[in-house]
Amino acid sequence: MPSPAILVHGLKKVYGAKAAVDGVDLEVPRGSFFGFLGPNGAGKSTTIRILTGLIPADGGTIEILGFRMPQDELEIKRRIGLVPDESLLFDRLTGAEFLEFVGRMYGLDRAMAITRAGRLLDLFEVQAGRKLIGEYSKGMRKRVAMAASLIHHPELFLMDEPFEGVDAVGARLMKDILLDQVARGATIFLTSHVLEVVERLCDRAAIIHNGKIVTCGTLAELRSGGESLEDAFVRVVGAERQGELLDWL
Amino acid sequence: MIAAILRVQWLSSRLGASRSEVFDLITGILWYGFWTVAAIAAGVLLSHASGAMVGSVLPTGMLLVFCYWQFVPVLSASMGAGLDLRKLMAYPLPHRYLFLIELLLRLSSGAEMVLILAGGAVGLAANPSYGGVAALPRITSPLLLYILFNVLGASGMRSLVERIMTRRKVRELAALILALVWGLPRIFFRTGSFTKTLADPASPLQRIGYPWAAVARTMLGESWISMLWLALWAAAALVFACLQFERTLRYDALAMQATPANGRPSAWASAMERFYRLPGWFLPDPLAGIAEKELRSLARTPRFRMVFVMGFTFGLMVWFPSMIGRQGLQSAPSPYFLPTVSLYALTLLGQGTYWNCFGFDRGASALYFVAPQPIRQTLAGKNVAALLFIYLEVLILTIVTAILRVVPGWGSIIETLVVVGICSLYMLALGNLSSVNYPRALVPERATQGARGQARFQGLIFLFYPITVLPVLMAYLARYAFDSQVAFALVLGIAAIIGGALYRIAMESAVSTAQRRREAILTELSRN
Repeated sequence: MPSPAILVHGLKKVYGAKAAVDGVDLEVPRGSFFGFLGPNGAGKSTTIRILTGLIPADGGTIEILGFRMPQDELEIKRRIGLVPDESLLFDRLTGAEFLEFVGRMYGLDRAMAITRAGRLLDLFEVQAGRKLIGEYSKGMRKRVAMAASLIHHPELFLMDEPFEGVDAVGARLMKDILLDQVARGATIFLTSHVLEVVERLCDRAAIIHNGKIVTCGTLAELRSGGESLEDAFVRVVGAERQGELLDWL
Repeated sequence: MIAAILRVQWLSSRLGASRSEVFDLITGILWYGFWTVAAIAAGVLLSHASGAMVGSVLPTGMLLVFCYWQFVPVLSASMGAGLDLRKLMAYPLPHRYLFLIELLLRLSSGAEMVLILAGGAVGLAANPSYGGVAALPRITSPLLLYILFNVLGASGMRSLVERIMTRRKVRELAALILALVWGLPRIFFRTGSFTKTLADPASPLQRIGYPWAAVARTMLGESWISMLWLALWAAAALVFACLQFERTLRYDALAMQATPANGRPSAWASAMERFYRLPGWFLPDPLAGIAEKELRSLARTPRFRMVFVMGFTFGLMVWFPSMIGRQGLQSAPSPYFLPTVSLYALTLLGQGTYWNCFGFDRGASALYFVAPQPIRQTLAGKNVAALLFIYLEVLILTIVTAILRVVPGWGSIIETLVVVGICSLYMLALGNLSSVNYPRALVPERATQGARGQARFQGLIFLFYPITVLPVLMAYLARYAFDSQVAFALVLGIAAIIGGALYRIAMESAVSTAQRRREAILTELSRN
């Protein structure tokens, strides 16, 4: 039986007195489309940043695709594709130049990197010619970022709010490509605060709140009792209180 | 409202506990400490100077203050603190409030000159020939007006330059013109005509009543008409500053910077493409990929392009006058000219390349930590790109100096290449350490906006520059002392060996620091 795509035990990250990630246990099976949900500031982005090796954990163990982090960091990095919430794009390159650069960083030879860059730009319908990335719209930047995450054909995708700022056409295109990747055996781990996206795409999900996993399972398990994912989400993060009325408003 | 904006400005630039902020504090203390000493020296000089000397020195000093205030923030490519108008424009703020705050910021970016002027005023008051303490009102009132004139001028200049520098293909030309403007007075000084006109009360400069001459004459109690002239200059500066500020408020920088999306690549673009591909000819990936990316990014970064142009124009304009005697060019070309201008260019290029090599990448630097290549490759790739730019600069300088006939021959060119290479080893070694210990986000789109403390940092690099090139200076000293090329080559060889070892040790240290501090580095680089 293959090892899980992501296996995390007791993951911890502390900033000052606050634990951004507080003893997270998580198992993401290979080939799954996994949604990682949580309110703002719950610890989603911090978890992804730890999984990608951008920041060190303060405690716990991480195993990705059977490799241990941080011991096998380079092996893990070769196998993952990342779409972070913050842009990893170099503003003074064109889209084609950036994709070629990323391809070469992941060990593709230049000719192959150029070829794949061209095809990915066609696939994502980014035809900006000599225009620099710094001049792209937010949606275009997201498309290029996702194209860059695909160029080395990774086994695992880590995506932090990949559809944020993308128009409906772009979002549909990106979703189709991701579903196709899962059908081909890749694993996708994405964070989103748009619950409809998770409901439509994911087969499994976990909800993190105040740095702790409050629930994890298949979508059917999360929606037990016939409630919607939104109802389940609000129930487990305890955000059902009425907003205070502002008398001056 | 103004208080709220000032508070936000202060909160945005306040010092905290992070390492780079502590570094800012230290550089700030060193920088202003240096200027305080200079102010005391100016005071001591003026308190003991004779009447003739004061009459000659004071207008010149005032001119230097003017030049510093107006041009140094531009030429150091760091315009000091500025309002983020794009954010403030969203609020219902009267423009006069923004303008007032802009003036306060210009005053803060010329604080060094306020120190010098204060030192000079105290010195002049202490000089018995000029009335003692009782003369303080006569000395300070024109001085305050002169400060106002400079603040207004600096504001107008900043707005104007900032707009020019955002225009495609205009900013490099603007840098060239600025270099010429900066260099011309030095040529006049060298040829003697400038000092002659300053010293001569009947010279056009004095008669027309230039602001630096007017303030000096008023401070010395020679003419109250000069005070009127000074007020007129201040009024003109006010009009200039207001007009430029308003135009900047309505300026669409992004539209000016936009790249034509579907234009066919020009011959120049094709040539540049070949230059970008250069590392791929002699380096393997990912080193070549990183170096190529760096060449592309830097070549398209307005701020770096401006500094690159300044490297061979401003450098020449600073040092070329030294070659000019009162009867014109020296008969024998100096063997030190090309190495000197090249080392100067090497220093200037540092701010965009090796001192803060992640600065222009900002938050995107995270890619280097996410991609499966060791961070050592990233630093080495960035160093290769920096070296290519440095040697391109040397090549341009060699061609220009050859045209000007100030290079003795091939020997000097080869010597320059070797000397620059050895100095680069030291600079890159220290730069790698600086890049991982004190990273700062730079805005590539804005040619003139510096990171916090950038001007002070740049100033300190210039101050400590002789120390970092000490091994090479020792080689020149050996040649001078022993009158021997062998001694020169020997010391240079030792300097190269030490430089190589230093580079290797510094690289190991930088790699280890980058691994340990990756989170702090990325946090610092993600700041706006």
